[in-house]
Amino acid sequence: MNPFTRTTARHRRDPFLIQGMRAAAWIILCITAAIFLHIIWKGAPVVFSKGGGDFLTKLPETLHVIQDKEGNIYEANPVEADAIKEKLGPGLRQEKTISYSGGGILGPIVGTVLLVIGSITVALILGIGSAIYLSEYAKKGKFIEALRLAILNLAGVPSVVFGLFGVGVFVLAAPRFTDFPLDRAIFSIPLGFTYLSFEGWNTSVLSGACTLAFVILPVIITASEECLRAVPQGFRETSLALGATRWQTIRRCVLPFAMPGILTSSVLGIARAAGETAPIMFTAAIAYKDKLPWNTEAGWWGTFTESVQALPYHIYTLAARIPQNEYSSRAQYGSVFVFLVIVMSLAMSSILLRRKLRSKYQW
Amino acid sequence: MVAELPRPKASGFNFAPAKPVAGPVSAPPALPVQHGIIVTEQLDFSYGQRQALNDISFTAPEHAVTAFIGPSGCGKSTLLRCFNRLNDRIPGARITAGSVRIMGKNIHDPDVDLISLRRQVGMIFQKYNPFPKSIFENVVYPLRIGGVTKRSELDEACERALRAAALWDDVKDRLKASAFGLSGGQMQRLCIARAVAVQPRILLMDEPCSALDPIATLRIEELIHTLKQTYTVIIVTHNMQQARRVADQVAFFYMGRLIESGTMEQIFFNPVEDHTQRYVQGQFS
Repeated sequence: MNPFTRTTARHRRDPFLIQGMRAAAWIILCITAAIFLHIIWKGAPVVFSKGGGDFLTKLPETLHVIQDKEGNIYEANPVEADAIKEKLGPGLRQEKTISYSGGGILGPIVGTVLLVIGSITVALILGIGSAIYLSEYAKKGKFIEALRLAILNLAGVPSVVFGLFGVGVFVLAAPRFTDFPLDRAIFSIPLGFTYLSFEGWNTSVLSGACTLAFVILPVIITASEECLRAVPQGFRETSLALGATRWQTIRRCVLPFAMPGILTSSVLGIARAAGETAPIMFTAAIAYKDKLPWNTEAGWWGTFTESVQALPYHIYTLAARIPQNEYSSRAQYGSVFVFLVIVMSLAMSSILLRRKLRSKYQW
Repeated sequence: MVAELPRPKASGFNFAPAKPVAGPVSAPPALPVQHGIIVTEQLDFSYGQRQALNDISFTAPEHAVTAFIGPSGCGKSTLLRCFNRLNDRIPGARITAGSVRIMGKNIHDPDVDLISLRRQVGMIFQKYNPFPKSIFENVVYPLRIGGVTKRSELDEACERALRAAALWDDVKDRLKASAFGLSGGQMQRLCIARAVAVQPRILLMDEPCSALDPIATLRIEELIHTLKQTYTVIIVTHNMQQARRVADQVAFFYMGRLIESGTMEQIFFNPVEDHTQRYVQGQFS
């Protein structure tokens, strides 16, 4: 006689539930693996095969596909294409051009890296600053609660709205020094030697980076605040009792220990900033540019003031704006693969940095 | 209800064997003895609506160990934290009446600089709390925030403070190692070293031994005997034996009031108040 027999149906349901949850976890894993493997399978050969270096070091070009009457097919860039056509003369049967599919994607890579670095810098400065204020200085009250709510709401704003905000504020209205203010400037302040004109920064890296910074700001503020709060109160009290000012306490006894966590949150920010398309399509990115930002007539300063190509926008262009055929897939898969690698390596370096800092400041 | 505190004794009972002080002792100018180094006058203190201290008039003599005893929540720690104004950072906490005078100066006067007050009035916390830095960096922290950058000066202060905290011989070979590698007792002595690194006049100790084992506790108590020759020590303790071992003066608090204060012998062997008698005999807590 077994006193411990199963008595209810509940017992029989359990294994099904467990298997169901296990299946859910495995489905997620399989889908993720499928996406990654597909991109790596198709994209890695573009970069790692012979001539793959060109893909990373050249700007995008139009791909010319020339077929002669004997059925030979030549793939060429615009300059080579002219030479081939001249050589073939009447032997030319047909020529197809596929936009953006030749050359490489150096322009979009550079653009994305600049935008990410710019936005994360702006977002960390603003984010850590306001997080310190919120968690260390601000007195509890209605105003602070409203501020917190506003920050949380900011996280829910659709990114295209941030894009329009960026157009309105950074592209069209931000102040700049210029000797010749535009007519459309909101107003300009004469400074004697030059003008401070509120005419905006145009579509530029700076506009895009600032817009992206606002997209990732809520994540960074919220996470930084949590990290600051996680630093034991005892450190603050001890430091204050030893005669430190509040700022010295924060600078030496709070911020260093919160930094690993803040950097973790910046990982999320980096991935988000690199991946967003809507905020930059109005403020920084253009579909095609034949120069790197610092090679324009603006000089190295162009790094900040020029519009750029950006990977997510470039991928959108390749996927939706050009006809699909066997010649376009190289640039498509290659771009997605490179994009993935860049985002993952940025995230990875942040994680390594955090690990290093964390081992230094362990409590 | 407030017992008049006897005049601080000139030499009086001295339970501590007169050990030589490890660090160089810069004898501070003697204060007018009758005032004591810390004097509170009819002090009332509230956390928001809740009154935590009621009409506290108390005097702590210089170069002596004063122990605060009393059941939990009786206001001992609150009073201690009034002496370096650490309560300032608690929202709603404020002194509602009376004053705290340290070295003759009302510490709530507007011309009192909090930083320099806290450099004169060091504090040791219940839970030893070194920073996650090296031993050296922990000890010189108060100097660094005071703007000292000269290496020789830092080294000298570090050694002096560690010697004063009887920790030098334990750690002199691993000053660069993390403070978290030390034992609990060593960490608490490191915190004492850190507090005395800027040579304050007063050391406030908030149950410094409650997280330590008996051996480590004894070493801290020995250290307190040594420290009182250089500093004035105020110690909050729940341990009656400890109060008897280390204290010259004892103040007994109950429900936010100072019930009785006097020399250790008076409070433990000849208390005036019935409450005190029952508490020191362990009949209530």
